[in-house]
Amino acid sequence: MSQVQTSTGPILTTDGIPLKVSLKKAERKNKIRAFLLVLPLLSFILITFLVPIGDMLSRSIDDRQINTVFPKTFEVYKKWDRQGLPSEEVYKTMFFEVKNSEGYDIGKASTRMNYSKSGWKSLLKKSKRKFKKIEEGPYKEKMISIDKKWGDPEYWKALGQMVDPTTMGYYLNAVDLKYDSNKNIVQQKENRRIYNKTWIKTFKVSILVTFFCLILGYPISYLLATLPLKYSNLLMICVLLPFWTSLLVRTVAWMVMLQQKGVLNNLLVMSNVLADENRMQLMYNQTAVVIVMTQILLPFMVLPLFSVMKTISPTYMRAALNLGASPLHAFYKVYMPNSIPGVSAGCLLVFIIAIGYYITPELVGGKDGQMVGNWIAYHLKTTLNWGLCASLGAILLAMMTVLYWAYNKIVGIENIKLG
Amino acid sequence: MSQKDSFVKFEKVDKSYDGEILVVKDLNLDVPKGEFLTMLGPSGSGKTTVLMMLAGFETPTNGEIYLDGNPISSIPPNKRGIGMVFQNYALFPHMTVKENLAFPLEVRKMEQSEIDKKVSNALAMVELQDFGNRMPLQLSGGQQQRVALARSLVFEPRLVLMDEPLGALDKNLREQMQYEIKHIHEKIGITVVYVTHDQSEALTMSNRIAVFNDGKIQQISSPDVLYEKPNSSFVAQFIGENNQLRGKVKSISGENCIITTDSGDDVHALKININNNGDGSLVSLRPERVAINSSENFENNFEAKVKELIYLGDHIRSRVEVCGNDQFIVKIPNSYKGANLKEGATVKLSWKASDSRALDLN
Amino acid sequence: MKRAIKAAFFGLISIAFVGSAIADITFVSWGGAYTASQQKAYIDTYSKGSSITVENYNGGLGEIKAQVEAGNVTWDVVDVLPDQAITGCDEGLFAKVDQSSFINDMVVPPVSECVVPQIFWAYTAFYSKSAFPGKKPKNIKDFFDVKKFPGKRGIHTWANALIEMALVADGVKAKNVYKVMSTPEGIDRAFAKLDTIKDHVVFWSAGSKPLELVSSGEVVMSLAYNGRIGAAILSEGKDFEYIWDATVLEQEYLVAIKGGNEKEALEFMAHASTAQALADQAKYIPYGPMRKSSIGIIKKGEPWFIKEGGNIDILPHMPTAPKVLKRAVIADPVWWADNGAEVSERFGAWKGN
Repeated sequence: MSQVQTSTGPILTTDGIPLKVSLKKAERKNKIRAFLLVLPLLSFILITFLVPIGDMLSRSIDDRQINTVFPKTFEVYKKWDRQGLPSEEVYKTMFFEVKNSEGYDIGKASTRMNYSKSGWKSLLKKSKRKFKKIEEGPYKEKMISIDKKWGDPEYWKALGQMVDPTTMGYYLNAVDLKYDSNKNIVQQKENRRIYNKTWIKTFKVSILVTFFCLILGYPISYLLATLPLKYSNLLMICVLLPFWTSLLVRTVAWMVMLQQKGVLNNLLVMSNVLADENRMQLMYNQTAVVIVMTQILLPFMVLPLFSVMKTISPTYMRAALNLGASPLHAFYKVYMPNSIPGVSAGCLLVFIIAIGYYITPELVGGKDGQMVGNWIAYHLKTTLNWGLCASLGAILLAMMTVLYWAYNKIVGIENIKLG
Repeated sequence: MSQKDSFVKFEKVDKSYDGEILVVKDLNLDVPKGEFLTMLGPSGSGKTTVLMMLAGFETPTNGEIYLDGNPISSIPPNKRGIGMVFQNYALFPHMTVKENLAFPLEVRKMEQSEIDKKVSNALAMVELQDFGNRMPLQLSGGQQQRVALARSLVFEPRLVLMDEPLGALDKNLREQMQYEIKHIHEKIGITVVYVTHDQSEALTMSNRIAVFNDGKIQQISSPDVLYEKPNSSFVAQFIGENNQLRGKVKSISGENCIITTDSGDDVHALKININNNGDGSLVSLRPERVAINSSENFENNFEAKVKELIYLGDHIRSRVEVCGNDQFIVKIPNSYKGANLKEGATVKLSWKASDSRALDLN
Repeated sequence: MKRAIKAAFFGLISIAFVGSAIADITFVSWGGAYTASQQKAYIDTYSKGSSITVENYNGGLGEIKAQVEAGNVTWDVVDVLPDQAITGCDEGLFAKVDQSSFINDMVVPPVSECVVPQIFWAYTAFYSKSAFPGKKPKNIKDFFDVKKFPGKRGIHTWANALIEMALVADGVKAKNVYKVMSTPEGIDRAFAKLDTIKDHVVFWSAGSKPLELVSSGEVVMSLAYNGRIGAAILSEGKDFEYIWDATVLEQEYLVAIKGGNEKEALEFMAHASTAQALADQAKYIPYGPMRKSSIGIIKKGEPWFIKEGGNIDILPHMPTAPKVLKRAVIADPVWWADNGAEVSERFGAWKGN
């Protein structure tokens, strides 16, 4: 009997169509329906999330701004041996491409060139104006007479970094490296090395903030999850109240609290704990950033912790006690392992938010509390060096991805629970 | 009962949560060693509170609880050495079955080899030898229940408490588990205090049943006594199916009495907890003790009208109107005699005075 | 009924279209007392049909560049700093302007072809008189001298003006500052001078902050925007005192964003840059007009600054007053456009170490 069945081909429906084909057909409709249901969200995410991220990633390596303005110059430039000054031909091609450039190309190109070597910006602007009066060669001489920067090989060598349509320059810049004039990767000048320190600082602050949020948030979440509803609601409002207050207001309130002539220091001086001249510097430094960010991000720790702890049945603790464990042992062996998903979610959430934070460090960070976010904001708004912004952002993104990956490997992402 | 006989003793125990309402009132209870005692009652009757006080999760507001002769009110729950099976099993979800079972042994700092032996014995006892490395959530409800049972017994406690342990199981499984628990109890002879609101569960398993209502024990007896001889109308109603005839005491003579029902019929019954002529009373009568169209004559014979017939296979349940009560149930065995009743027919009902119990009106 | 709803619906749509045909102008500035002065001086008085919506921003070209690149320009007229005026004009973010009506009336020539003049404002050092009962700081050297005048200093979180001030404090003449800054050694020298106060500084980034820092005693003196100091003295009666030395003068311009309502924007900018409009602005805030003839109007009209209970002379509070100008540094936006990014990074490194 069983022999007969195993030897037959695919199972057929009563109509003689193979069962799998028939099943697929029946399910296609469902699939299309499901797809149509997610389509709005999918396109929304595509437009508002994936496209901008793709754009950002492309900006971080895109270096076509100049190539399109000086195509001929770069052709002849490639032949130059990078010794001394380039030939008259290079000068001549450059001259005409500057002179005949239209619109704002020169302006945009000069901004980019200025990243490689400060001074290009004004040099091109001035030259564009003055080149109009020059009708014939020798161009090298005349250009140098307009501005002696044209006779400085460093400017010409700096162009070499921009020959290719893509560049790693922004990424190098983001980790305190750079191309030298021969396109070797070297360390940034010592007094311009800021990003590596900032990266370390950003991580340090984020880890500290996450740690303090956990230390402060865990007991309060435990209390929230175990108190009767009427008390826990009140307490929950206390936790969330700052959440509903403007970020700026809260930050400023902290300034009033923590500054040298602020509430905390005044209290300590008044109660003779501190001498008047030994007031603590709690504001405008890293300490302030950690304190204020901890307070601001606390709800992001408490909420996932609370919602996970809420699902931990109180009978687990009772059972553990009943089985002979001391309250502490029961907590450590039974309650804590069950709250791990909330701890993971809270920590990951707080860390991710903290690592990209910039308003609070900006306001209370002072001289050593600035984080990567502040530099992104600075380049985004002030220097317009969006390539550098993009590379800083992309590195942040990559770090988060690595973190997420490592987390998934070690703890397992399915252990994350937000409620 | 002397101190020695009572392994667990509640003495004048009161419990209030808010200082206004007593959820347990003046509880006095003795449980001898090896007994399977069930506390049965509707929700809110205080039975779970009693159990929690025994386990140490609640403190009595007044009175004292003794375990093996020693007061235990000041001993924390983890030092009482009482096993407990919780309502939803409370198996630790992050530990395997084996780890769950080993937990009480580890906190007692037993040697690993000893632990392994006890754990595998406990698994064998509940027939789950092959499931030791599963996580609790990978088990079915019945299997989880058995693990919980094994865990409460593995450290060989003197007393096991069970708080509605079968409430989450479906009917068939529940019945099967009732027998298993009963057998385990019989095999190891441990003292069990069991809480349930399911009377058939209580009847199946217990040596004695304490019926709780309103913070008090209404009656404490063996299952058969409780069923056959309820001494209050609450117990009569709560345990098993029950017909009730409402009326007033007409006369009392010795153990017997006559109650005149509201419809004017005189019913002969046993005097249980009524005192004076003219008092209100409920006459309680089990459906299976009523004969229908019987040739025999008992003390009570009435004509009744058949209102409804429900076919239940082994018996036919008929609702009739008698003595002014139209919710009166009679169970007719589906025997070779056949019943051949029709709805609307008039039949003769008869029962013994000794089967009808005149109780208080509450 | 249905017809009525239909009619109302199309009516609303047509109103929406007509509404957008008379283009409204979105005017974007820095907020606070400064925007209030612009509002009173020339927004409230503008009557050419376009209604004007005012928005605030925190400077920088980031948002503007994003709007222009996305082809979704919602800002029309923006109040910008000179280096932004240069960069934005170069990169085609701003519309070109006919400058013939004011080009010969300006204190300094305009930085680009895209701008109309507004005001000079200045980074100025100041202190609270109560902080120095005895000897008072008189010049920028004193600001950098923590031995002579102990206590914390408030400085801003970016490099502009700090480099210039540090050099003057180190002995460079105001008019030679940019010559020195154009050499690598010059920048080193400025940072070396900044090092001397590094352990005594409190940073600020919002314009109102230095006033709070000085009022609360958190710092003994601070740099600030002169208009903020003036407003505190004039309107709130604070006991602040300027240190009119090595004051760094910055320019402020209006620009029209390309792709916005350019025509209406340019019309409005012409109105907002007349000598009278600039003079009127000084009634409400002590910044210096960029047009020469505005000073004349003010001089004739003194006391010019409007205050309840009697107007006050405004010229002594202006960073363009002759005696201030003599010791001031006029910021060079071209230098900053070239070297701003590099110096900023170095400044960031200096701050962080």
